[in-house]
Amino acid sequence: MSALQRALLAPGLLILVGLVIAPIALMAVESFRPFVGGRVGAAGGWTFENYTELIAPAYAFYFWDTFRIGFIVSAAAVGLSTPLAWQAARTRLRIVRVSIFGLLISLLFLSLIAKLYAIQMTWGPSGPLAFFGALIGVPVRSPGYAEVLVFIGLLHFVLPLAALMLIGTFQNINPRLEEAASSLGAPRWRVAMSVTLPLALPGLLSTFMIVFAMCISNFVVPLILGRGVILFTTNLMYTRFSDVANYPSGAAIGVIMLVLSCSMVYAIAGMARRVAQGRG
Amino acid sequence: MTGLSRRNLLRHSTAAGLTTTMSLQGLAPALSQQGEQLLVVMWGAAWIEVCRRIAEAYVAKTGDKIAWELHAGGAMAIVAKIKPVWPRVNYNLISGWDPVFRAMIKEDWVLPVSLDEMPALKDIPPIFFQKNANGELMSVPLSTSGAFWGYRTDLVDKPIESVEQLLEPQFKGKICVPFPVNLTGLLMLTLAVQRGGNERNIDPGWQFLKELASRGQIGRVFNNNSEFIDTMSSGETSVSFFNLGAWTQVRKRFPVKLLNRLKDNKGFLFNEGFAVIKNDDPKKVAAAKRFANHFATPEICEQYNWPLGEGPTNPKSKPNPEVADALYQPDELAQYAYIADFEYMSSQVDAWAKRWEQEIAPLIRRA
Repeated sequence: MSALQRALLAPGLLILVGLVIAPIALMAVESFRPFVGGRVGAAGGWTFENYTELIAPAYAFYFWDTFRIGFIVSAAAVGLSTPLAWQAARTRLRIVRVSIFGLLISLLFLSLIAKLYAIQMTWGPSGPLAFFGALIGVPVRSPGYAEVLVFIGLLHFVLPLAALMLIGTFQNINPRLEEAASSLGAPRWRVAMSVTLPLALPGLLSTFMIVFAMCISNFVVPLILGRGVILFTTNLMYTRFSDVANYPSGAAIGVIMLVLSCSMVYAIAGMARRVAQGRG
Repeated sequence: MTGLSRRNLLRHSTAAGLTTTMSLQGLAPALSQQGEQLLVVMWGAAWIEVCRRIAEAYVAKTGDKIAWELHAGGAMAIVAKIKPVWPRVNYNLISGWDPVFRAMIKEDWVLPVSLDEMPALKDIPPIFFQKNANGELMSVPLSTSGAFWGYRTDLVDKPIESVEQLLEPQFKGKICVPFPVNLTGLLMLTLAVQRGGNERNIDPGWQFLKELASRGQIGRVFNNNSEFIDTMSSGETSVSFFNLGAWTQVRKRFPVKLLNRLKDNKGFLFNEGFAVIKNDDPKKVAAAKRFANHFATPEICEQYNWPLGEGPTNPKSKPNPEVADALYQPDELAQYAYIADFEYMSSQVDAWAKRWEQEIAPLIRRA
């Protein structure tokens, strides 16, 4: 790397270290400090207790819940946004493309808080669409229905972004490949399954990864729609940092989430790389 | 020729200096009338609405400017927010209640107040004040309130006469409860009292809570006044345990029965008000104390508490007759009221929050 390249990288690296790596490192250090009930923040000394208390089976349940719901929502977001993105990338009608872009971008600009309360008022136990619970066999006052609302809220949050990312993916696929397959007699579904989707797979996996990260790190959606019965690990962290002032315990949860999330991202990225190399 | 001579220079300089001084002297009174900029932390919903109205008239009279910041969740959250940045904190007054005051006094963030500098405090009974180890007054109590069980009578078929009834099938999914850190764990305490316990013997309360959770009685766990008001007003839930101010907002629109005179449980009393936060600028401190004192005067204390439905701490203020049933007469206190050891409960809140996560939340999910 030349001196010029190093000089150009330096400001970005400084910002990365100062604004991202340093706070995370401080959080990791804080996670080994003890906490005394009734005090604010950490006491003196060091301890592993903030980690050992998370070994309780109940906490595995929160981590599992967070990743499970995040995985399902991410898969649904990618699945639902794929046809939308394909249509926006392929349509010859300008009005259709502009409408799809307009819808997606306006959903992004709309306040998340407003969207969540609208979902609560519409789909909640007292809302006009509360019968949806009966349709799917979930009582509206049950925790199961709160999970359904969290699912809807997260989907609302990530679907526009997933669609916008996938538009670029489909635009990068040469349409002549699809035309060639059609001209050789393949029906449209066969073209999609054997040409379009395999070529789009690295983009689909990357989109899934980003959307998954957004879901598992989301705090507001379970807070507002979860009715206090659906708790993500982010909510546990919020309680510790904000309500109880137990910074060390909140930091420990944060470190564990970071390690688990990085592991999942590494696994998915590896999968995407293998798929790309297999095709190349 | 009018050249620049030493005489001319001295004459003109003197004239300029006199002119500037006189104009500054004329400006100084105008500057002092501009007042101080204060940052006050207050609860949302009805609390901020009434405070804005009171502040509008105060600002017009004094020239002080009031900026508001809302509590995010329970008042204790402000303590966690201040800790990492202390002493670089811009707050001048923080609204809170007894456990929050104790936490802030422990951290040495609060200035003492005196009856000389805040004469409105002379009317307020001494028992309402939080004090430090030196016996100095450390809070400006404005409201006397409590946490009670209650229910919407239009949504519940049979009157509730005991908290034990909440285990009945008709209440499945109909009960909303605060998170354990809310009200510094008073939910656990009321359930413990129901089963013969207290704040230092809280296990009976946990047992009762497990029974409620495993039977599916708990439909919502809420974080703050707004969530409580929403869930009770929408009819999503119909029975709860929370503070009188929040109950009053629901009572304005729906018929509510407060269970503050139960044979086998209690009403849990506490005080709310302001804490004056330490600041390097003595003018801001004086302005903050003036503003807090204004709230403690009989007229304003009444105006503040009337829409909130809480009891004014100033005996010269009239309480809202609509909440007369919620306030105890002196001879009722021994039988129905309970004043918790908030200092002890504050030390247990972390353990209780973790116990909720490990023992109660999974039961609610599986119910």
